[in-house]
Amino acid sequence: MGSWTIRPVSLSRETVIGALVLGGILLGVMILSMFFGAVDLGPRAVWSGDHVARTILLQIRLPRVLLAALVGAILAGAGATFQTMLRNPLADPFILGVSGGAACGAAIASAFRLARYPGVVPAFAFAGACLAIAVVLALSRRHGTSDPVRLLLAGLVLNAFFSALILLALALTAGSDLTSALRWMMGSLAGAVWTDVRLLSIAFVVSFALLVTVAGDLRMLDFGEDDARSRGVPLERVRLTAFLAASLATGAAVAVSGIIGFVGLLVPHAIRLVLPRDYRLLLPLSVLGGATLLVASDTLARVMVAPAELPIGAVTAFLGVPFFLILLRRS
Amino acid sequence: MSLIELDAVDFHYRDGVSAVRGLSSRFDEGELVAIIGPNGAGKSTLLKLIARVIAPQGGEIRFRGIRIGEIAPRAYAREVGYLPQEQESVFPMRALEVVASGRAPFLRRFQWESEGDYELARRALADCDALHLADRYLDEMSGGERKRIFLARVLCGDPKLILLDEPLTALDVSHTQTFISLIRRIVDQTGKAVLFVSHDLNWSAAYADRMMVMNAGSVVLDAGPAEVMQPEVMKRHFGFDALAVRSDGEGGVAWIVPDAGRHKPR
Repeated sequence: MGSWTIRPVSLSRETVIGALVLGGILLGVMILSMFFGAVDLGPRAVWSGDHVARTILLQIRLPRVLLAALVGAILAGAGATFQTMLRNPLADPFILGVSGGAACGAAIASAFRLARYPGVVPAFAFAGACLAIAVVLALSRRHGTSDPVRLLLAGLVLNAFFSALILLALALTAGSDLTSALRWMMGSLAGAVWTDVRLLSIAFVVSFALLVTVAGDLRMLDFGEDDARSRGVPLERVRLTAFLAASLATGAAVAVSGIIGFVGLLVPHAIRLVLPRDYRLLLPLSVLGGATLLVASDTLARVMVAPAELPIGAVTAFLGVPFFLILLRRS
Repeated sequence: MSLIELDAVDFHYRDGVSAVRGLSSRFDEGELVAIIGPNGAGKSTLLKLIARVIAPQGGEIRFRGIRIGEIAPRAYAREVGYLPQEQESVFPMRALEVVASGRAPFLRRFQWESEGDYELARRALADCDALHLADRYLDEMSGGERKRIFLARVLCGDPKLILLDEPLTALDVSHTQTFISLIRRIVDQTGKAVLFVSHDLNWSAAYADRMMVMNAGSVVLDAGPAEVMQPEVMKRHFGFDALAVRSDGEGGVAWIVPDAGRHKPR
């Protein structure tokens, strides 16, 4: 025949090219973000002998930028995972109540003065995240599939409950005030330190590695559970792995930064808008896109009302809510 | 040795519906078998059991004489292709990738589809008259086009046994004919066995070698179309008042039409 077709680039190559492009953008945004803040520092400050400038850059701004990137990567990766696992385009750690559960666990741990023992706050956050996702799944599953509307309602109610618990835990603690509640519920990256970065890097690497091992199986869920089973996918094991990996990472992210909403919803959808492909491409590109979005959002949070700061959760909500409403209308 | 053999297979859901009770049957290569019966007869459950979506609670299923529970799931998935009743993707995807994902049981962990897999996917699309849809997205296709994409996806894995759950629903008459004659051609040319569930008796009778009538979880009649397409059979197993209409040169198979006279309002 005389017709010609465009030969599509293979999925593996698309993933590599996409990752390189997004990785480059991420790097650029991170470098730019380093030079925004309360003190006006140009790139030249790095090489000048100025100790104060170096301290600000290396001990305050660099950990904060890295932390923003890690939190964004985790939340977007968890969002992509929950959406694929539950076959639900509206799933995200915030909407499902997973972030709320994690924040609740973390707030309880700090209210009971357990924060001085290393690893206790993240462990509580992980437990809270697991509890939340288990409850949401149990409430929303009917006849073997999760109903999108029930999923949203379950998440909504859980979030309300967790907010109340956070307030209660903080009210019971002497000397705490509403500012710390706000920190948990609206998210903040202020006061980022290198220990947080280290903790979160480990959580991210472990969780991402686990997700990569099940990515080939998880993407088979795109066509339904029966289909995946008939193709020899060990569904229970794959789901449990994805569930634990996403909860672990979300728990760790929330333990250091509080609840930052909508990243997990926004980023995977933006990726799908440009490259509607399966989970093997969606996961790495969401991770990079989420990191970029959160570094940019945190920069905005720092400069918009300078010298004060906006909670970063407010910035992501400004971006995420209109997007969510559009998605809800369409689905 | 039969390709697949069921021996007193039992299955019931927790709420008690759509059970399969003590079902025994066998299917051979090169057979096109229609599974018919009223709603809730256990037809879909039977396909799910063979596809290993669910496991029998009693009895056993053997593939080439080996109990299917003893075959590695992925190895079994290379031999048996299953098309569920409703097959839809929540997220938009290109047809070629959908079809290529039928190669998944052949891929190792971390392995991506190769150019060879995409070539097989294109060939399967061509077999289903759908190569022109390769770069289109599922959500912008008609029901009939999507059906062909998903059949191509099953064919792409080159299974010996193909299980199709209601493949003819949502197809207009012309697409029904294209689709079922395509399946007939696959059976004749490749010697694969195809089991399909259908509510369309006449289309099934026109193309199938064998019609298996199920009711209340059991096989109540398993015979050639000529024997199944009888008003008494329809009345007994479907509660359907039917007339048999014979046309010349159809090899003795009668078409079943509703007996409108008995249900006309006075």
